[in-house]
Amino acid sequence: MFEQVFFSGLALGSIYGLVALGFAVIFKATDVFNFAQGMFVVCGAYFAVTAMSILQLPFPLAILFIVGAAALLGVLIHMVLIQPLSGRPMLSVIMLTIALSIALRSIIEMVFGPQGRSLTTPLPTGVLMLGSVRISYLHLTAALVSWVCMAGFGLFFKFTSVGLLMRASADNHEAAVVSGVNVNTMNRLAWGIGSTLAAVGGLFLGQLQIASTELEGIGLLALPAVVIGGMQSIPGAIVGGLLVGIIEQMASTYISPKSSDIVIYVLLLLILMVRPWGLFGQRELGRV
Amino acid sequence: MTDQTHTPTRQSRTYSSLMLIAAFCSLSAWGQDAPKDGVYKDRIDWGVLMDMSGPTSASQGIWVNGFRDYMRKINEAGGINGRKINVLAEDNRFNPATDKIAFEKLVNQTPVIAISGMGSSVSQVALAPTIKAGKVPIVGTYTATKALSEPVTPMVYNGFCGYKQMAQAGVGYHVDKVKLKSPKVVTLAIETAGGKEYHDYVAEAVSKFGGSATHLTVKVTAVDMTPQILEIMKIKPDFITVYGVSNTAILLMKGLSQYGLKIPTFGITYLGAPQMFQSMGGEAAANYKFISCFTPGGADQTPGNKALSLYADTIGRDEMKQDINYVAGWITGQMAAEALSKLGKNPTRARLIESLSKGFKVDTKGLTAPFSYSPTNNSGPVVFKLFGYDFAVNKFKAYGEFADYEKYTR
Repeated sequence: MFEQVFFSGLALGSIYGLVALGFAVIFKATDVFNFAQGMFVVCGAYFAVTAMSILQLPFPLAILFIVGAAALLGVLIHMVLIQPLSGRPMLSVIMLTIALSIALRSIIEMVFGPQGRSLTTPLPTGVLMLGSVRISYLHLTAALVSWVCMAGFGLFFKFTSVGLLMRASADNHEAAVVSGVNVNTMNRLAWGIGSTLAAVGGLFLGQLQIASTELEGIGLLALPAVVIGGMQSIPGAIVGGLLVGIIEQMASTYISPKSSDIVIYVLLLLILMVRPWGLFGQRELGRV
Repeated sequence: MTDQTHTPTRQSRTYSSLMLIAAFCSLSAWGQDAPKDGVYKDRIDWGVLMDMSGPTSASQGIWVNGFRDYMRKINEAGGINGRKINVLAEDNRFNPATDKIAFEKLVNQTPVIAISGMGSSVSQVALAPTIKAGKVPIVGTYTATKALSEPVTPMVYNGFCGYKQMAQAGVGYHVDKVKLKSPKVVTLAIETAGGKEYHDYVAEAVSKFGGSATHLTVKVTAVDMTPQILEIMKIKPDFITVYGVSNTAILLMKGLSQYGLKIPTFGITYLGAPQMFQSMGGEAAANYKFISCFTPGGADQTPGNKALSLYADTIGRDEMKQDINYVAGWITGQMAAEALSKLGKNPTRARLIESLSKGFKVDTKGLTAPFSYSPTNNSGPVVFKLFGYDFAVNKFKAYGEFADYEKYTR
């Protein structure tokens, strides 16, 4: 039983980790605490519905469509809404992301109607037996894709010149500008990556459940994951996501479903008290 | 020159004054149509209070469409006793504070003759004293709460399937079908007061057959049901009943299928959208049914269903008509229209309350079993049946007739 619960938590945590990674990328690059990240998950699910059910694209093309549409959405949001607020107080930007979340929900309901949409893809749906452990192929695929995305973006940030420029912009905005880095382009890229990662999470959540605006709440579970892991840490977001997934499943099984929220948020509080920069974040020192 | 210009101005002022007096008189005459009750010369305002953009809009918004469409059909046929029905739908976003403001608005600011919907149980409890002591009847509630409907009041008429009867009919059918002697049942419910209440009804119904019911809970935002499935494997129930949102049922059925468990399962009425079955897929949905006092559009050929389907198809609601919430809204529209038609040429809130309080029957021509209200019973539709999904024709299929299930709830 323990193994079964652990593996299902790991699969679940991988999706949270993916969404949390998008959140961390945006925060690291632009210092924006994006409350619309949950709605980016929903947008991903509806992009998938559009590609698969409405446009009836072949699956590889549908994937390109989802990734392209999500990246474009992120870039446009940065260009039109976030960039003009550059230099304004953090509260204004936070309020903007909350408003954005409400607006996106309304737009989706206006375009697709209030009913949820079923999402069917050619992704495998059977069950894999590993000894006594049963893992659904869909969960396994979701976990694998999440890990590939996480590894891919980890390598991208570490070894590519664009990744390096993005890290430079995030670490020291002014120094990057002085060095000739186009910070706005880097920030747009970060928003594009953040919304794409959330959209991939939405693709899986939409198929595991149903594509509906209710997926936003699940997407927002990335928030504790990213705080636990460290707001500015890419590996932290991944580990935070996995931890949240495993804790949720363990607490649901051995205590009660409601207790999973308590356990997750108690852990979050403890980390904020003992190590406010998160498990993998870096302590920021300020001069007085 | 000056006089010539002044004279016509005076004349026009006099003319304007006369026009104003005439307009005032006509307004006064218009006032005789009881605008304080939402009744005007050419229309009657009827209020709807539902969540149209909040967390439950996916179901309540569809109910509003069903209600509006029925009224649209009535208006296209000339209205009721010469007046069109104007639906004033207020969006409460599932927020009790918004609900309170919207309710006051419909009572006083843009008055309506009656209100339908009220889909938030929290708001119902909060507003119950005001509604019971007020002057605006609630005709066709979307959800029934004890606070609002007990004791029976002439101000409230339930319009949706009740949880108690859902439990009685669903449990009774499954016990009878498999001839179980002491059934073991699992109630899987989201962690809400309503979920606990539903489980209590299930436990009560199961105990009549000498069985037992176990209450398992799940989070509304759950993405995986492994813990619950493992518990179900330990309990080995004869059947399962689900209370929650669409994802609750989808995850459960996919989870059961993943573990190779073929346990008959039925969901509450709200868990009966075609998208849910499609999302489950044929294999997982094979053991899933939902219990409902309404027949989904297109599921049979009764006159009521034919009329609904024909109209829904005409206005492009061919997919939505299959949603049970659409049918529920449509039937509440019928209740409202029939109640108004009995008031003749001079409808008012007081006359509506008086007429309703004497009791009335609603014949939906097969969309539900016939149901009625009396001074001592405002439960509304109480006869149920189970529905599954036929993937071959992408339509709902009924398990038996309403008459087969009457014994469980009447």
